[in-house]
Amino acid sequence: MNPATLIPAADTLTAPWGWFQSLLLLTFPLHLLAMNALLGTVLTALAAHLLPGAPYRRLSHELAKALPFLVAFTVNLGVAPLLFLNVLYGHLFYTSTILMGLFWLAVIPLVIIAYYLLYLYDFKFRQLGNGALCILLLVLAILVTVGFIFSNNMTMMIAPAGWGRWFATPGGTLLNLSDPTLLPRYLHMMIGALAVGGLWAALYASIALKDDPETATAGVRLGMGIFSWLSLLELVEGGWFLATLPPEVQRLFMGGNATATALFVAGLLLALATLVAGFRQRVGLAAGLTVMLLYVMAFMRDTVRTGSLAPYFSLDKVPVTTQWSPLVLFLVTLGLGLAVIAWMLVKVAHCPKEVRE
Amino acid sequence: MNYPVWFVPTLGGGLLIALVAIVHVFVSHFAVGGGLYLVLTERKALREENRALMAFVRTHTRFFMLLTMVFGGLTGVAIWFVISLINPAATSLLIHTFVFGWATEWVFFLVEIVALFVYFYTFGRMDDRTHQVIGWIYFGAAWISLFLITGIIDFMLTPGQWISNHDFWSGFFNPTFWPSVFFRSFLSFMLAGCYGFLTATFLAEETLRQRMIRYSGIWALASLLLSLPAGWWYLATLPTPAARLVHGASPTIARASTVGAFSLALLAGLLITLILLRPQARTRVLMVMVMIAAMGYLGAFEWTREAARRPFVINGVMYSNGLLASEAPRIDQDGFLKNARWVQNREVTDANRLEAGRELFLHQCFACHTIGGFNNDIIARTRNMSFNALRNYLATIHGKRYFMPPFVGTDAELQALAAYIAGGLNHKPLIEAKGAGGDQGKELFNDNCTACHGLDQIKPDLKGWPRAKIRAALDKLSALNPDMPDYTGTAADKDAIADYLAQQTGGAP
Ligand code: HEC
Ligand code: HEC
Ligand code: HEM
Repeated sequence: MNPATLIPAADTLTAPWGWFQSLLLLTFPLHLLAMNALLGTVLTALAAHLLPGAPYRRLSHELAKALPFLVAFTVNLGVAPLLFLNVLYGHLFYTSTILMGLFWLAVIPLVIIAYYLLYLYDFKFRQLGNGALCILLLVLAILVTVGFIFSNNMTMMIAPAGWGRWFATPGGTLLNLSDPTLLPRYLHMMIGALAVGGLWAALYASIALKDDPETATAGVRLGMGIFSWLSLLELVEGGWFLATLPPEVQRLFMGGNATATALFVAGLLLALATLVAGFRQRVGLAAGLTVMLLYVMAFMRDTVRTGSLAPYFSLDKVPVTTQWSPLVLFLVTLGLGLAVIAWMLVKVAHCPKEVRE
Repeated sequence: MNYPVWFVPTLGGGLLIALVAIVHVFVSHFAVGGGLYLVLTERKALREENRALMAFVRTHTRFFMLLTMVFGGLTGVAIWFVISLINPAATSLLIHTFVFGWATEWVFFLVEIVALFVYFYTFGRMDDRTHQVIGWIYFGAAWISLFLITGIIDFMLTPGQWISNHDFWSGFFNPTFWPSVFFRSFLSFMLAGCYGFLTATFLAEETLRQRMIRYSGIWALASLLLSLPAGWWYLATLPTPAARLVHGASPTIARASTVGAFSLALLAGLLITLILLRPQARTRVLMVMVMIAAMGYLGAFEWTREAARRPFVINGVMYSNGLLASEAPRIDQDGFLKNARWVQNREVTDANRLEAGRELFLHQCFACHTIGGFNNDIIARTRNMSFNALRNYLATIHGKRYFMPPFVGTDAELQALAAYIAGGLNHKPLIEAKGAGGDQGKELFNDNCTACHGLDQIKPDLKGWPRAKIRAALDKLSALNPDMPDYTGTAADKDAIADYLAQQTGGAP
């Protein structure tokens, strides 16, 4: 069966696709940042539990307080790219979602469970003792599973060649396991997440915990250690990922397409610079470079998507009927919303630490 | 037909959507009304300089945060996950039409999260005025979320002018938008009162507990009373076919509406009794019953709204099974299987008839019917129907039962679907010819009447009717029951049915 015949028709866009593409690429790295911070903080807290000494005890307690926030923002910042992904690639994405429906639905209860476990960890930290370790392990296992489900969907939606399997297995139990890019891509996401998360934990420790220098130092040392060593591993892993990509897509990064190649070179240089900053324990510098790197990686990831879909689909071909006023509404609201958020954060920053009588 | 179908024979997608939606609706409305409840109660505590009350607000905020932020937020994402799995075509249409409405809603979602975190974690640290402002920001953002989502949800029920002009604002400010906004707002305040009830029962100090229970009760009762006219307004603005459905033409809706009205009455009764008449009856069990009643009220409303647009997901535009109404005439000509993407049999032949029928069922009927499942099982629904009865039924399925879409496709495809249901699922013989003399009345009855009721069901009604009366009734069945269409057979066919019925019910010849 020719997989092209299975691809649903794309619906009409209400603004030129460049808008959606930009919004997707602007918001997705934010989701990644939050998700990375979440995974890495869980890992760092876990490591802090295993290390001896009071500063590490306090560190894990302090990290515990940040975890529920991180879940909330991972989810919220996932909603925006999900929306724009739906608009641009909905017809492909829904199809692969249906093929793996059962697993896809599992994301929701899994995240709810992880969320409540993290609140438990935060609110009941003192009573938990060694139970805390089990909770963290469980949460880490859940999050890593959710990530795997996401990687499956993201790779399956750009690989229509395997969709014909639905006819034999329509129950929503298909995964994309035979795709050679799945495993390296998933590991790339996970190793990267844990690394960036370690960096985040170091940053958090150096800023939020500076009143308690011992704990802050412990946090920075541990977080940066996790960050640097995992980033080194990530560099090697990235090579493997690149090698498994379809040859046409690989070629894009090797001179076949100017933008893709420039992204690739920039990514490589940034990665090396980040490594140096990491091993030198330069927290602020490493963080700045990493945010840039994350954006570059997200753009490269999008190139992989466009490249893999090239035989089947191109955004240029989707019909467009523009109506500007809703877009304006959104942009204005976004501006106002961010201003209100900034105002609230300023108020929090000026808030006394102690509860008044 | 554009998309594959998530096919677990005994599990219907509709039920899954309903379950997730009801849970989410219950929590998300609370997230809105609860915001108002929190700031106003905080203000009360500030005015009275009542520390115990302030501590109550704080505990309630924590419960509120744990419930709405985690469960509310994620079940909202869950609805999205589920509808794109069950109704991908409709979800795509909605998302494409309202993408910036949704994006705007996301901004408010973000503001809500930040505001709630700040509100909870700065209790007692931030100065009172600013803390109150943060509370109001939370409530404002939450209510605007409700406002925005209402536009998109009610678009599905009454797309209004959008159908002709495809304009964002026409779709958003659709005919049922305003009544729905009012109704949902009052319901959200009512829920806030109900939850307040529940947390108040955990207060240790007796007088404060009594006061807060009374306070929450008055909240709930006042909002409930206000929601009644709004609900009535909402029903009054429903388009005619939908209104007919709500008023009883579809059995499921009729049932849901009764449950809704019933729990509404129960809830009001309980609240009034609780607060005004018998103050000593304020036990937690009663509070839980109040919650269940409130859930029934809201649940029935949502269920009714979901069902009232049947057979459409987007009223007048797209049927529940993802087919565009505007495409139906063309597909009737060309054939469904030829136009569909996710099918293997492109043409019906003698050899593949059952398989092709199965694919037709999957893409046209499975949206609402399970195979052997608990929800609207097609096997049970067609047990009485012969192959011929099904063929007749399918030809006018939408005419007979408005809440089902028409069968879309060629005659050969219709036969294949009938064959699959009668032969493949019910293991009945697929005989097309009319039987020999004596059986003719029975066969005509089976073919034309059993879609809605078997012989056993109407036997008691016909008890003692002479044949002549039965024969006369057959000329005007709609007079017997307005839900029954007139029978269009020949006089000879009617004679045969009358003979058969008279013989079966022991009526005089
Ligand atoms: C929009 C949802 C929907 C779709 C799509 C749908 N049905 Fe139904 N169907 C219903 C409902 C609701 C009932 C009645 C349930 C009840 O009585 O409570 C029903 C009842 C039936 C019955 C029982 C007889 C009757 O009239 O009550 C048959 C037979 C039937 N459907 C066949 C089909 C076939 C065949 C298809 C596909 C062509 C189909 N339906 C598509 C919703 C649907
Ligand atoms: C579209 C659905 C539908 C079809 C088709 C249909 N009926 Fe009915 N019929 C009904 C309903 C609904 C009732 C009311 C059932 C009840 O009261 O329980 C009813 C009731 C009846 C009654 C009892 C009337 C009474 O006094 O309550 C008779 C007799 C009857 N039908 C005969 C027939 C015959 C004969 C046919 C075939 C030619 C037929 N029906 C086809 C829906 C239908
Ligand atoms: C909290 C647990 C979550 C984890 C661990 C997680 C992890 C991931 C990972 C690893 C990817 C990349 C997959 C790949 O490309 O191979 C991803 C992508 C994505 N996630 Fe999440 N995610 C989580 C929750 C969510 C939620 C709740 C949403 C939606 C509301 C969401 C929306 C998205 C979207 C839209 C993308 C893809 C964007 C694109 O392809 O452009 N995520 N996520």
